[in-house]
Amino acid sequence: MNSTVASEYSSEVHSTPIEHRFNPYSDNGGTVLGIAGEDFAVLAGDTRQVVGYSINSRYEPKIFNVGDDIVMTANGFAADGAALIDKFKNQLKWYKFDHNGKKLSIKSAARYIQHLLYGKRFFPYYVSTLIAGLDEEGKGAVYSYDPVGSYEKEQCRAGGAAASLIMPFLDNQVNFKNQYVPGTDGKEKRPLRYLSLDEVLQLVKDAFSSATERHIQVGDGLEIFIVTKEGVRVEYYPLKRD
Amino acid sequence: MDIILGIRVQEGTIIAASKAATRGISILKDTDDKTRILNTHNLVAFTGESGDTVHFTEYIQANIQLHTMRENDLELSPSAVASFVRNQLATSLRSRKPYQVNVLLAGYDVKTNTPTLNWIDYLGTQTELPYGAHGYAAFYCSSLLDRHYRTDMNIDEGLKLLDDCLEELERRMPIDFKGCYIKVVDKDGVRDITK
Amino acid sequence: MNSIAQKYTHTNNNRILNEITSARDGLASTHQLELAPSIQLPPISQPTDFLRAHTDDATNPDCKIKIAHGTTTLAFRFQGGIIVAVDSRATQGNWIASQTVKKVIEINPFLLGTMAGGAADCQYWETWLGTQCRLHELREKERISVAAASKILGNLVYEYKGMGLSMGTMVCGYTKKEGPTIYYVDSDGTRLKGDLFCVGSGQTFAYGVLDSEYKWDLTIEEALYLGKRSILAATHRDAYSGGSVNLFHVAEEGWVFHGNHNVGDIFYDIKEKEKSFNNVDG
Repeated sequence: MNSTVASEYSSEVHSTPIEHRFNPYSDNGGTVLGIAGEDFAVLAGDTRQVVGYSINSRYEPKIFNVGDDIVMTANGFAADGAALIDKFKNQLKWYKFDHNGKKLSIKSAARYIQHLLYGKRFFPYYVSTLIAGLDEEGKGAVYSYDPVGSYEKEQCRAGGAAASLIMPFLDNQVNFKNQYVPGTDGKEKRPLRYLSLDEVLQLVKDAFSSATERHIQVGDGLEIFIVTKEGVRVEYYPLKRD
Repeated sequence: MDIILGIRVQEGTIIAASKAATRGISILKDTDDKTRILNTHNLVAFTGESGDTVHFTEYIQANIQLHTMRENDLELSPSAVASFVRNQLATSLRSRKPYQVNVLLAGYDVKTNTPTLNWIDYLGTQTELPYGAHGYAAFYCSSLLDRHYRTDMNIDEGLKLLDDCLEELERRMPIDFKGCYIKVVDKDGVRDITK
Repeated sequence: MNSIAQKYTHTNNNRILNEITSARDGLASTHQLELAPSIQLPPISQPTDFLRAHTDDATNPDCKIKIAHGTTTLAFRFQGGIIVAVDSRATQGNWIASQTVKKVIEINPFLLGTMAGGAADCQYWETWLGTQCRLHELREKERISVAAASKILGNLVYEYKGMGLSMGTMVCGYTKKEGPTIYYVDSDGTRLKGDLFCVGSGQTFAYGVLDSEYKWDLTIEEALYLGKRSILAATHRDAYSGGSVNLFHVAEEGWVFHGNHNVGDIFYDIKEKEKSFNNVDG
């Protein structure tokens, strides 16, 4: 009795090809933005998390107080972002154990994050990273990164899904790009000045409510981390939930 | 599009190597020397993948010079040099990232007083030839050399023939290779006779 | 029972021994000059194909990770030293990621490196080069030559050849022994010494102006202007170049920064003064 019974499924042909290529990346949307003021810095992000057209969560924070008055976000692929921030927080903890609780300057933190990102140069973290805090002179500082660790200190930077919507607005409203003194026939540029915290918060709220109107991956809530010499403070504002 | 040409004559071997270093659509340098001296009577000229070429020839150069130091200034003969280079390329061919380098070796054997020209490509093909070239130069010059080369030529006649080759290349090649460095290997060693 | 105990003590001993040897190995390897820090590879058989599929925007325009590309940089030697001039734009596809990039990397007070290709590759490895140069100084009690510095970088990128690094850089410096010196180093391992190089997507436009007006006998003032003007020409014709021009002069006492010149600000001044750019109205 060794005969086999022909399976009724034997003639069934797989019509969908098996995907062989290793694709470890996904895009979880969302957008973030950082602005440095004279004696403060803010880092803001929406709280929506998506995959494709599905909304996973309406409140999934992606900005973190990583310690030493530094706030950090890594927007893009949420798993990579979480991994990067965890790694940084963990290393900061060890830094403190090894160096008698010494405070890590934002300048050193910035360089260290470059090494974390470049350490995966051939298998990158799919994120745009921002950190904000105060520099050694107590002035606001924002550092921004590309996925593999090239970085720059800036006055302001938007990252993530709606970066292309927000960044031109910031250029105009924070760095006064293409603004001229009235009556000078476009000859004299509007002089630069530091914005107050209230002005900056208003800009951030406007940027996010506008981005929510025009980008499907942005919305639900806005979380703003504010770093001053008093420490880190968080504010939350609802955004449209459609 | 680099040009590497070699002609063996009675008293020595002549090598011509183009001066242009090209990357993309720009010529970055017009004084690039694509030759290295291996020892007093051996010269290598190279073409191929940028980066690989210089790295490989300088590695060969260093090893041959190391050999000379270890063996009490006894220098490797042209045939030994050729075997060594061929062996390195053949070994590399079976590695994860083979060197993509083609070379011409001009040598003068001081034991037998014979000049040699060795043609070796990145696959490890080695042949001893009276004249030879790598790349596009071979398409233009091989027939010309087949027609005009004589076994009893002296250096001056060889240089005249080389000039004819370069003239043909300048006439027919679609890009400017910025002229050539011309070097001779004979009983007195390596000399640069670029005009 | 004894055999079990023996087995465990044995493995235990082994473990301790392993730990000691690995600790000693760790110590030993820090004494040697590790050429490069360790970089993680994706856990698959062809890491290069993986990277190309996910990051290379030339072959794969809709890929997820966009690496900043596009540039014009130049450096040339002349009677008064070296001029280095670069633009400041970073692009990711059609998106201008930044108009304020520092494409001249200050390796140390006597050495400058330029950035073309992958921004992170250049920034990371040229700052790394800075540490290697400092280590050389401490070991040899002498400043590193430009030839040696550029070769450290050249050898490093050659180690990574085929892995997807993208950089085209000029290492510029001045030493007593060499005088003003420029080496071109790129990610396929080429290293060339020369008097004049332009690198990046706008290189041809920069060459156009630079070659036509370059002389060895230029004054420092003239040379600075020519550097600035050549980058301006490239920003005008190459969409991937723009923002502003950063100017440097390198001489015996080290490099000197000669300002950031916004293209929007200098364009019409130069057009007016030179009576050039006649393709543009106004």
